[in-house]
Amino acid sequence: MNAGVVADRQGEPDRDLAVRVLAGDEPAFRQLYQRHTPRLFQLALRLVGGDTADAEDVVQDTWIKATEKLDTFRWESAFGTWLGAIGINVARETQRRHGRRREVEWSDAAEPPAAAPLERLEPVDLERAIAALPDGYRTVLVLHDIEGYTHEEIGAQLGVAAGTTKSQLFWARRAVRALLAPEAKGRLT
Amino acid sequence: MNDPNELSPAERRALEALPRERAPRAELEDRVVAALQRRGLLPIPLSRADGARRRLTPWLVGAVAASLALFVGGFAAGQYVGSRSGAAAVLSGVQASRGDVAEVAAHAERAGAMYVAALTALSRLSDTADAPTRATARQAAITAFGAAASEVAHLAPDDPLAAAVLRGLDERAQGQRPASSTRSVVWF
Repeated sequence: MNAGVVADRQGEPDRDLAVRVLAGDEPAFRQLYQRHTPRLFQLALRLVGGDTADAEDVVQDTWIKATEKLDTFRWESAFGTWLGAIGINVARETQRRHGRRREVEWSDAAEPPAAAPLERLEPVDLERAIAALPDGYRTVLVLHDIEGYTHEEIGAQLGVAAGTTKSQLFWARRAVRALLAPEAKGRLT
Repeated sequence: MNDPNELSPAERRALEALPRERAPRAELEDRVVAALQRRGLLPIPLSRADGARRRLTPWLVGAVAASLALFVGGFAAGQYVGSRSGAAAVLSGVQASRGDVAEVAAHAERAGAMYVAALTALSRLSDTADAPTRATARQAAITAFGAAASEVAHLAPDDPLAAAVLRGLDERAQGQRPASSTRSVVWF
């Protein structure tokens, strides 16, 4: 299916808007921006660990890179997917630039609960636990468990083997469970 | 169920319940558009009505600052001095306005008109002047233009038009740098 000819829920297909953007049409860009930025911003916000200013920078740099490369996009995937892939790379650059290490205290030796009692879990607690993860763990968990990427897709996106992302996901889930354990939740701020 | 490699149904539900979209601050859209314009990826609108409204006050206040500097100090090495009385009037008017935006805006409009009139007169004089005089006149006009753009950029850092003007002037200055020792500098 050619994603570029599928009319978006808001009307004019992405591909038509992109053609207009390439011709310098600012209203077309704004339409494209308004259509795709909420998803991009939420993704960026999670990948950078909840820092709004960083997420806004990621959104801005992503749109700049996307607009620069727009004439080379082959429309073999949905525009939003392509934009998200650029956003992931930009977010990783931001992580590297800041040298952020959100190390949290949990012991790999200790056995965290295999599954935390999440039935009564508030989304804000889950978000905080994800934000508290080290960058690598958080990236894999967000892409796999929230965004629905496969390990192969994550591996290709991040330039690592699928086995590596599986391992990171294992440790990421383990860390989230440890952070959500009743005795650990006080550390989530 | 207890396989630590797998999510429990409750965990899966909790993750699926997290929002996939969140709207950023509305200001980010204009910031992104301005960033694209600065990089030449979108054109800079010169006459869009809503943009002009949004930039009205910074433009006018910037024009006041630049125009006052222009007229009070005189320019073009004395080639044009007819506006000094007008400059004094603008200066006293702005001082009397005590920061009232509407009054400052009105003075800015008058100063802007005087600025254009001065450049017109300068242009006429230049038609009959020798090459060094024309160069001095051109430098005076461009310096005033740059001063105005600089004030606008100071008051509205995201203004794409001011950024484009300053970028162009900067590129022009860099292109002229080898000859800078002979360039006439008009200070005001």
